[in-house]
Amino acid sequence: MDAERDPRRGQVRLPAFAEPAAAGWQAPEADGPALAGRSGKARRVGIRQVRRMSNWTAAALIVGTGATTVALAHHAISVGAPAAAASSSSSGVVTTVTAQGASGPQVSHSVATTSASGVTTTTTSQVVNGKTVVSQVRHAPAYHDN
Amino acid sequence: MLPPTTTTDVLAAVPAPGAASSWRRISTGDDTVAVAERAALGTTARLAVWPPESLSAALGAVDGVLSALDRQASRFREDSEIAWIHRSGGGRFMLSNGFAEAVSVALEAARWTGGLVDPTVGDALISLGYDRDFAAIDPERGGPAGAPVPAPGWQTVRLDGPILSLPAGVRLDLGATAKGLGSDRAARAVMNAAGQAGGVLVSLGGDIAVAGQSPRDGWPILVADGPEDPASSLTQNVRLAGGAVATSSVTCRQWRRAGQVLHHIVDPRTGLPADGPWQTVSVAAATCADANAAATAAVVAGERAQEWLAVAGQPARLVARDGQVRYVGGWPDADGGRVNVSPASHVYRGSRPGVLR
Repeated sequence: MDAERDPRRGQVRLPAFAEPAAAGWQAPEADGPALAGRSGKARRVGIRQVRRMSNWTAAALIVGTGATTVALAHHAISVGAPAAAASSSSSGVVTTVTAQGASGPQVSHSVATTSASGVTTTTTSQVVNGKTVVSQVRHAPAYHDN
Repeated sequence: MLPPTTTTDVLAAVPAPGAASSWRRISTGDDTVAVAERAALGTTARLAVWPPESLSAALGAVDGVLSALDRQASRFREDSEIAWIHRSGGGRFMLSNGFAEAVSVALEAARWTGGLVDPTVGDALISLGYDRDFAAIDPERGGPAGAPVPAPGWQTVRLDGPILSLPAGVRLDLGATAKGLGSDRAARAVMNAAGQAGGVLVSLGGDIAVAGQSPRDGWPILVADGPEDPASSLTQNVRLAGGAVATSSVTCRQWRRAGQVLHHIVDPRTGLPADGPWQTVSVAAATCADANAAATAAVVAGERAQEWLAVAGQPARLVARDGQVRYVGGWPDADGGRVNVSPASHVYRGSRPGVLR
């Protein structure tokens, strides 16, 4: 049980960050000294390559994680503070996920109207004598609720 | 019924296969977004998207949602699910996923508002004369309205997954939540169609939901009090970056019976049109169904509206019958201010708004 609680249990140290290669990295030299010399050199080169790759892999992971964190923070939802005079019910379900307009287009004119059961005000623009004239027109269609 | 006053600046007709009417492109003065609208559900559906190139796919997505919602929840269609249930005279029913969600949202709205909105007001509306598509109601028809019918109460309705238990004689009306639900579904459907790229605003009769990436500083929206006076000082420009905003008002959808002016927002407790101090209430919330329900509840709540909205944590703008404007819960009091909403929904129980057909 104590072993299961050891927080280091199961951790694997990357060779690049460890001491010189441990015994476990070495293969038995079964082909004689000459071959062993060549194979030993090749093995050392291989180990260096593995270490180098491990270093690059670790660096890439660190950089990637950091970039992801920055990106997520940049696109975090803007949630307004709860109303000053209000206490929000705790029974609500978090649902709508909508991003803040950090990189959206610039929109100057109202695109929709909320009013008495949906009367629509349309903002129109037209060029008159070289000047852009913006006007708003109210519609009052018949409505029904479904 | 108020006649249409004029036309929009129609740039091009956009065909919408399967739609009851065609979409019309609207010029709002910004070419960074594409805006179109058409008649739908007896009201006006408006869609704004960016990038503008995504408009075509967005129109198709909205059409699908509106068509499905009409088949599910319209009291005035003989072939709708709700009409089928009413004809059956009570019992247990297996609902489609989409209609089950619509009923669930209506019941949760009733629970949240303490019954200020209640989906069992169907008979109350019929008794008052709202027994057909609003466009077909004779606004000056003689004869008094029927006796008021208080709502039987949302607690009499049981929904267990897709299984609905409805007592005999209880008629549902989802008017306090259905348009908001439609806007939520449509906004989500558009984002799905666009691969979650860009942003969208959907308005169903002024009940507005936004999704995706908003324009800088949020979507510009005009909040208006009533339809009669376009130059009224009781308008306000706000910016909405996320969530939704909806408005309920007693100043429209009016008709007369025996000289008495009636309107469509019914107090479930009395079965009569709400008669409080507020003529128009706009509410911002996490979802449009939340905003729709809260705005209607505030009109019904009357004097208690500001307190209820504050406790519920909903930013709101209330216009009294004497023209005074009140701001609650962080609604900006300046023109062009940004409306911030809490991300918590009260009416989507344990789930996010679906795109259910």
